Amino acid sequence: MGTASGIIKALNSGIKHIATKRFTFRYPEQKLKFVGDGYQYDPDSGVGIAGYKGRHILFHDKCTGCQLCAIACEDIAEAIAMVKVPEQWKHNKKAIMPQIDYGKCVFCGLCVDACPFYALYMTNDYELSSFTKEALIYTPAQLQVKPKVDQDVEIQIDEKGANHG
Amino acid sequence: MSSHVYPKEKEIFPGLQLEKVDDRIMTLNVGPQHPGSGHMRIILKVDGDYIVHCDPDPGYVHRGEEKMAEYRNYITNIPHLERPVIHDSCNILYPYCLGVEELLGLEVPERAKYLRVIAAELNRCVYTQYWLAIYGIFLGHSTMFMWPMGDRELVIDLLDKMTGARVTHAYFVPGGVRNDLPPNFEDVCLRQVNYFEKRLKEYADIFYDNPILISRTKDTGILSREDAIKLGTTGSVLRASGVDFDIRKKEPYDVYEELDFQTNVLKEGDSYARSKIPWLDMFESCRIIRDALKKMPKSGSVRVKLKPNPKGGDTEVYRRVESGRGSLGMHIISRGKPQPYRLKISVGSFRNLIAMPHLLTGEMLGNMPAVYWSLNYWPVEADR
Repeated sequence: MGTASGIIKALNSGIKHIATKRFTFRYPEQKLKFVGDGYQYDPDSGVGIAGYKGRHILFHDKCTGCQLCAIACEDIAEAIAMVKVPEQWKHNKKAIMPQIDYGKCVFCGLCVDACPFYALYMTNDYELSSFTKEALIYTPAQLQVKPKVDQDVEIQIDEKGANHG
Repeated sequence: MSSHVYPKEKEIFPGLQLEKVDDRIMTLNVGPQHPGSGHMRIILKVDGDYIVHCDPDPGYVHRGEEKMAEYRNYITNIPHLERPVIHDSCNILYPYCLGVEELLGLEVPERAKYLRVIAAELNRCVYTQYWLAIYGIFLGHSTMFMWPMGDRELVIDLLDKMTGARVTHAYFVPGGVRNDLPPNFEDVCLRQVNYFEKRLKEYADIFYDNPILISRTKDTGILSREDAIKLGTTGSVLRASGVDFDIRKKEPYDVYEELDFQTNVLKEGDSYARSKIPWLDMFESCRIIRDALKKMPKSGSVRVKLKPNPKGGDTEVYRRVESGRGSLGMHIISRGKPQPYRLKISVGSFRNLIAMPHLLTGEMLGNMPAVYWSLNYWPVEADR
């Protein structure tokens, strides 16, 4: 192939894309959809359930304060600390629950794998930025809140190419 | 006066000698801050436009992964071991998991083996696309930066659905994988992989058949077959020099021997061949993924239940896999404790770096990025 025809072919290959819809999407207005409600784990079968590994959710009615999540995190990120909670639960005599520092968390989800009581899962929430380091430390009360996520953009593929709808 | 070199300084900074050199020769530091070098420094001595001496200086991102592994048990080692190559995190965990399984005597379920192969091949595509984008931008081809970065998103989306994270998946564990596939994953995977392959074919026109790229990379940095073997290079560098060596074929692990694929070998051994091999390998990855989705058992367990703090025997194992950069091996020594006694990571990047002084000496300075990035080198992995 000659040099000129090769360059024209290369240019043509790029120019074709002027007419196609852009592949990227507008992030703060549009958000990518994930499968499920976040990564979960079933201690009975010992297998996880696929989902995005975002911020945790803690179920206060299930957490027994056994500290297994904190022990699992000890050698990984040291992000989990057990703290006192004001409420008294029958199943949680010591009244301690995990507090997670998202300045340290690496979102590996091994704390979820360690929980034998279905109390700690992960959610689709990944927008955790803050102005201070202290605000990244989520108390048990903050972890209890189910995040409001508005994610609906998915990759769509047609004969013209791929886009995010 | 300037010929005097303080002995201490010479010992500490071998590259920074204040020696009196001929006025023709200039020492040039490429990196460690320069974006064209990655997290490393290349000390070049140039005579005009020609490189007369090259001394790569890695080690700026050494994290002590091997030492850290001695203080963590076989499960908590997972998140930090994938950090050296976050784009190829499944492949760097692969030899570790294979080794620990051998150590603990675990039998991996059949479905988990296929899931691992799919995740590893998707990860290879992610890594190669990232590398290709960097290779494109350093040759001044900014479209080739945008396209692979954009198309990489197709594969990242699949890995995101499968493992729950865009990079650093922590998906492989000794004894299988963390979770099963989400519903309808097979259809989405097939659709996106087919489209990804279609996009890869378009790279030929704009990049690989582009006469400007060919003129810049053809016949630069030629590594002969004999030198490639003697220097101990691996992966795409070795295959570009005409040696048919792929660990997936030669020492098949998990289910690779049942899958239909071939290895790509080019004879030229120049930068062009080295840049083409990873691209050709991505087509094979697509083929493997399609084949694995077809042959995979439709249901079944994906993970063996492990005891807390499993202990290995008084033995040692060495397992290696083919990563995006070549052979990646892990040598685990166990002394009957929950933690490994010693973990040695042998990475492809570091082996390929040895070829760099050999290739750059005598080259033009302008060819440095073309030769350097064609080595498929990832500084963070080489430093561990």
